[in-house]
Amino acid sequence: MASLIDIITSDDPAMRDRPLESVIAGRGWRALLADTEALERYRHGEANLYRRVRALFFLYAIHRFHLPRCSGFPVSGRVPFDGHVHLLDRRFEEAITVFLRAQAAEGASDTLSSALAASYHQLAFQTLADQVRATVRSTTGNTWMFRMGHPADHPLRVRREMLEREAGGPLPILRERTAVRMDLSHSGWSDIFFLGMDYPEGARVLNVSVDLGVHGRDAEPRPPIEACLRIIDEPVLRLTSVDLEATVELREIDEVFDFARDYLGLLKAAVIAAGLVPPGIERSGMSLADLFGRLIAPGHGIEIVSSVNRIPKGSRLAVSTNLLGALIAVCMRATGQTKSLEGPLTEDERRVVAARAILGEWLGGSGGGWQDSGGVWPGIKLIEGVGAQSGDSEFGISRGCLLPQHRVFGRDEISDEARRKLQDSLVLVHGGMAQNVGPILEMVTEKYLLRGEADWRGRLEATGLLDTIIAQLKAGDIRALGQSLTHNFFGPLQTIIPWVTNRYTETLIERTRAAFGDDFWGFWMLGGMSGGGMGFIFAPHRHREGQERLQEIMTTAKRELQSALPFAMDPVVYDFAINENGTMAELLRGPAALFPVAYYHFALPGAMRTEARNLRPGQRIDLQQFAQACREHPAFAGAAQPLLDRLLPSSGGSSRSAAALDGMLAANGFDRAQHEQIRTDLRMGRIGLAMNRLPARTRIEDVPAAELFDLERDGTEALRKAGLDALRAGRVGVVTFAAGVGSRWTQGAGVAKALHPFNKFGGRHRNFMEVHLAKTARAAREAGVRVPHVFTTSHMTHAATEQWARAHLGDALGREVFLSPGRSIGLRMVPMARDLIFAWEETAQQKLDEQKQKVRESLRQALINWARSAGEGSDYTDNVPSQCLHPVGHWFEVPNMLKNGVLRDLLREQPSLTTLLVHNIDTLGAGIDPVLLGWHLQNGAAMSFEVITKRLEDRGGGLARIDGSLRLVEGMALPREEDEFQLSTYNSATNWVDIDRMLALFGLARGDLDDSGKVEAAVRTLGARLPTYVTLKDVKKRWGHGQEDVFPVAQFEKLWGDMTALPDCPSAFAVVPRLRGQQLKDQAQLDGWKRDGSADAIATLCGW
Amino acid sequence: MKIRKALITAANPAQRTLPLQVLIDQEGVAKPALQIILEEAHDAGIEEFVVIVCPGDQEAYATAAGEFRSRIQFVEQSGARGYGRAVLLGRAALAGEDAFLHLVGDHLYLTTSKEGTGCAKQLIEVAVAERAAVSAVQATRESQLPYFGAVGGRLVPGGRKLYEIEAVIEKPSPTEAEKRLLVPGLRAGHYLCFFGMHVLTPAIFDLLGELEAASAGKGFALSSALHALAGRQKYLAFEVSGRRYDIGAAYGVLFAQFALSLAGRDRDLVLRQLVEQLAQG
Repeated sequence: MASLIDIITSDDPAMRDRPLESVIAGRGWRALLADTEALERYRHGEANLYRRVRALFFLYAIHRFHLPRCSGFPVSGRVPFDGHVHLLDRRFEEAITVFLRAQAAEGASDTLSSALAASYHQLAFQTLADQVRATVRSTTGNTWMFRMGHPADHPLRVRREMLEREAGGPLPILRERTAVRMDLSHSGWSDIFFLGMDYPEGARVLNVSVDLGVHGRDAEPRPPIEACLRIIDEPVLRLTSVDLEATVELREIDEVFDFARDYLGLLKAAVIAAGLVPPGIERSGMSLADLFGRLIAPGHGIEIVSSVNRIPKGSRLAVSTNLLGALIAVCMRATGQTKSLEGPLTEDERRVVAARAILGEWLGGSGGGWQDSGGVWPGIKLIEGVGAQSGDSEFGISRGCLLPQHRVFGRDEISDEARRKLQDSLVLVHGGMAQNVGPILEMVTEKYLLRGEADWRGRLEATGLLDTIIAQLKAGDIRALGQSLTHNFFGPLQTIIPWVTNRYTETLIERTRAAFGDDFWGFWMLGGMSGGGMGFIFAPHRHREGQERLQEIMTTAKRELQSALPFAMDPVVYDFAINENGTMAELLRGPAALFPVAYYHFALPGAMRTEARNLRPGQRIDLQQFAQACREHPAFAGAAQPLLDRLLPSSGGSSRSAAALDGMLAANGFDRAQHEQIRTDLRMGRIGLAMNRLPARTRIEDVPAAELFDLERDGTEALRKAGLDALRAGRVGVVTFAAGVGSRWTQGAGVAKALHPFNKFGGRHRNFMEVHLAKTARAAREAGVRVPHVFTTSHMTHAATEQWARAHLGDALGREVFLSPGRSIGLRMVPMARDLIFAWEETAQQKLDEQKQKVRESLRQALINWARSAGEGSDYTDNVPSQCLHPVGHWFEVPNMLKNGVLRDLLREQPSLTTLLVHNIDTLGAGIDPVLLGWHLQNGAAMSFEVITKRLEDRGGGLARIDGSLRLVEGMALPREEDEFQLSTYNSATNWVDIDRMLALFGLARGDLDDSGKVEAAVRTLGARLPTYVTLKDVKKRWGHGQEDVFPVAQFEKLWGDMTALPDCPSAFAVVPRLRGQQLKDQAQLDGWKRDGSADAIATLCGW
Repeated sequence: MKIRKALITAANPAQRTLPLQVLIDQEGVAKPALQIILEEAHDAGIEEFVVIVCPGDQEAYATAAGEFRSRIQFVEQSGARGYGRAVLLGRAALAGEDAFLHLVGDHLYLTTSKEGTGCAKQLIEVAVAERAAVSAVQATRESQLPYFGAVGGRLVPGGRKLYEIEAVIEKPSPTEAEKRLLVPGLRAGHYLCFFGMHVLTPAIFDLLGELEAASAGKGFALSSALHALAGRQKYLAFEVSGRRYDIGAAYGVLFAQFALSLAGRDRDLVLRQLVEQLAQG
């Protein structure tokens, strides 16, 4: 029988492509541990990089998915803190050593396996990323740039044509125009570098260069990317992005390497990757004047201007990679690194540009696939992985090369007619969704290396489908092509990654199909996932109608779902044309030496405010050029008006926004006096991140799970019966906290997490609310009783939740389902620099890999500067109002039910109600478990909390004995970070509340709920006894065309778990299984959650 | 193979006076740079010279040639029409030769061989022994690539610094150099760049003729013809033991003069003067 190592080492595809499960199925946990020991020994002795990585993924999968499922596998353990620190510092091997040592000493456990799984997973990706990086650096043609350490050694010179001008005239501008690329095949993300380098024969895509225009805005499609370069008479590097309306002047070499200081990181990466300021010269402490003196002539500098014709971010057309390519190309041309200054590039030169673009993406801390620079090439091409041969830097390390080969199809292969047919049928759109494709690409890599049976079948099918797609395109059979692309999306792609689709995309497809019937020929996902760039294929006679209708369909669907899914912008329909030239350059001389029109709109106002005699010669020439162009150049017709508009100050928008914010504050009961007190305390240092912690002398002791009621171990039939009896007697209701906007879930996009249709259940996407309601509905149906279910909301989620509930719940809303609107609100503040420094420098942080970490540090410095310049502790108002306000912590959720009358009404309607099951929106397993209900009723506590045994990712506190008292403690309240690692349980935040005992804690009885004054006072009094935490939250600020900035802002919170610290609040604690208590906080968890059986387990609890 | 003629190009209008620049040679004798170049060739066995000059420069060059005046045949090149064309102009004067030595008029050479063999002589000895065209080269840092033609190739076994040339590129970009001109055995970031001294066979004129026909009146580089030559016949590069001084570069004459003086009779005098200057400065 084959072993796991046989699978890894075999050259026979039949063996090598076998899944892990084919070997380990049915094995018990002791046998699996023996497998992990063998793999661990093997990987240390294996020289081949990819075999090592596959062993790492096998180890990860066994610890993450297989051991936890084994019957009898110990669940409770501890993660050694030093291992955790190694992990944060990216010392993965050291972390693994520590965890394995703990496993040997204390025995294996679910807890330790979670730490080992995370370590193996990260080490595997780090190994792959290191290899790609090493290959990028050692790619022939790039290495000289890492050797150059002094301006005097610069081997490039600017071509003299760049310096030729008539006396008093402008220096010429070199303009590079580049297409973007569409991926017509999407062969299972096979353009991921790791895949291409391990499996070159399966790395194939059909890639088309396209010109683009926004339908209804632009007269016709054109190469959307422009990169312009000119020499200037000042020894500076001036970088400008027309689309971001950002410009910067750099004087020092090290400023070029400071990527996140402004919005021009991509331009800087291009300047570096093109060799103008080679990477080897970083931290040389030299000035750009020295370097340009050598590169051009003393006293000269370079100005670079980029434009992407306002194509929005996230188009899935690889705009940023192709812009990087265009910028690199224009820099290379200007410095004699290409044969010709103008016209197209040679194949060799295009390959250098592609390699440099990969280098630039690495430098800038981003990353794409190897097909992304396809816009540099002309027309339609097949891009394929290449096996590494002797002489390649990859030879002996990986099976494939870093760079693929491009085979451009001639017109004899794909005729003009076929190309025209494609253009006559395809409607390209941007759906408007903002997405992070990174997790998807990680999932793809992981699944490729694990070769799960269905995943691998999907991959082979997607790869095979490419030949069909090429044949259909060659035959000009666009209808069949549409069918193949649709099949690809709904078949193999979703088999590999279910998360490529979403409710929005499927709504669009459904409505388009309904509107166009058989004339809708197919759907096509562009890039890593759907919702952003997409293609819809129509019968040619309905193409134009398709463009118009799709705009309507998308706009309507977006309006319906914008509270549930993260959108960055309004949907857009494009016009497009195949670009048959690839990247092209032209040297613009004399009156034609002009940058894009929009450049002058923000470059000239400064010059126009300067007195004529004080104008620099360059400014004078720019003004003259612009004035002449306005008179003579068609593209500049009407260009003067926007410039004049910019000269005048405008404040209409900000005053409207301020009025809206004031309105929301007033409507949501904002307490100005309390706010000012918090501001004063924050500024004086009385509260802050460091002050959240309990005193250092506090005694923290773990409470072993064995000392607690364990649902699986201690549940009895008697308890079940007691619980069922209470349920049937109408004593139970459910409260779901749904006031949050899922800061981690959508990285601060500000949508209602409860409404996010995150997974398919029963054949369609369901949101969190639907799942929770389905569990309650099932419990109610089985008990034959009405179970009221309350969703708490906030100013950010109430309107959207109510709208959804009205549309989908019918008359159940108000009868069985209730909304409890928030009655407390806070106004976010600009954080204190000391809190930012505390969060980023004084607490253990997950380090990123080298280049990304550098970018992050640069960004953090910029944000600290922002806090100081914006005014530490001042109100955060520079955003849409909903992003300036914050909910004040989930402690207020239940008191809000007292204040807003929801509990009063519930009790009036159903006086038998005595118990509430209270839980978070993301605790999907929480539901009315009769045994737990019975246990709660018997233990006599005011509140009974559910905890789970810890895994590495369960951070944020747990159950502890604090100075002898049993209570829940927040992670941020623990005196030392290592304290949390002593705790073996984690607060699931699910709790059972005895209504009357809880009211008594507030000093209230049921009858008092009519007295709003008494309720208000009671809430204020109890609230004052609980700690106030200062926290930092990331909020997104959207601007431009799909651009987003993330700002850390300060807010305060009170938390429900702290009720257990009140001596007069009798509390009880139970250990529940992970499936019941785990929380879904991050979308990156979804795939593991589905694969480890959690999704199926949730489905069994629901009644649809 | 007999090599008895040398072709010297000095027709760049921007540098036409450089060969006339007077320097003090190693013996302490003041003489024009041209004469020093001619002596280098003569010491290598060259009997006759073909010098390409700008129109009207003949007399001044003849005077500067000193004792070699009678052995020079001048050919005029009008305007700046490219290095390749300048070499091609020597075709008639070099007709019938097995091979010829080619030097540029703005470079001076100093041998560093233990035996004191001149650079041109070292090169000619290799060409005669190998019966092939040979270009003198020097391992040069990549930062100097914007100034020189460079070659790529493989070391010829035998312990000499002799290479079989596979590619020639004029002023390559570092990327191009890395991709096409890497030579095993050289230090990282170093390439074999031309020394300004070649022994060429008449085949070069056919290649230059082809380039001229395709040039449509524009200039063309000698390097392009040399690249083609490598594809047609045995063409070698030899790392001579010596140093070259480009008197057309900034401070070129000064550095050349220092080199000549410090390698010659007046070494102590010059050093003393330098130290005094430094002490005063």
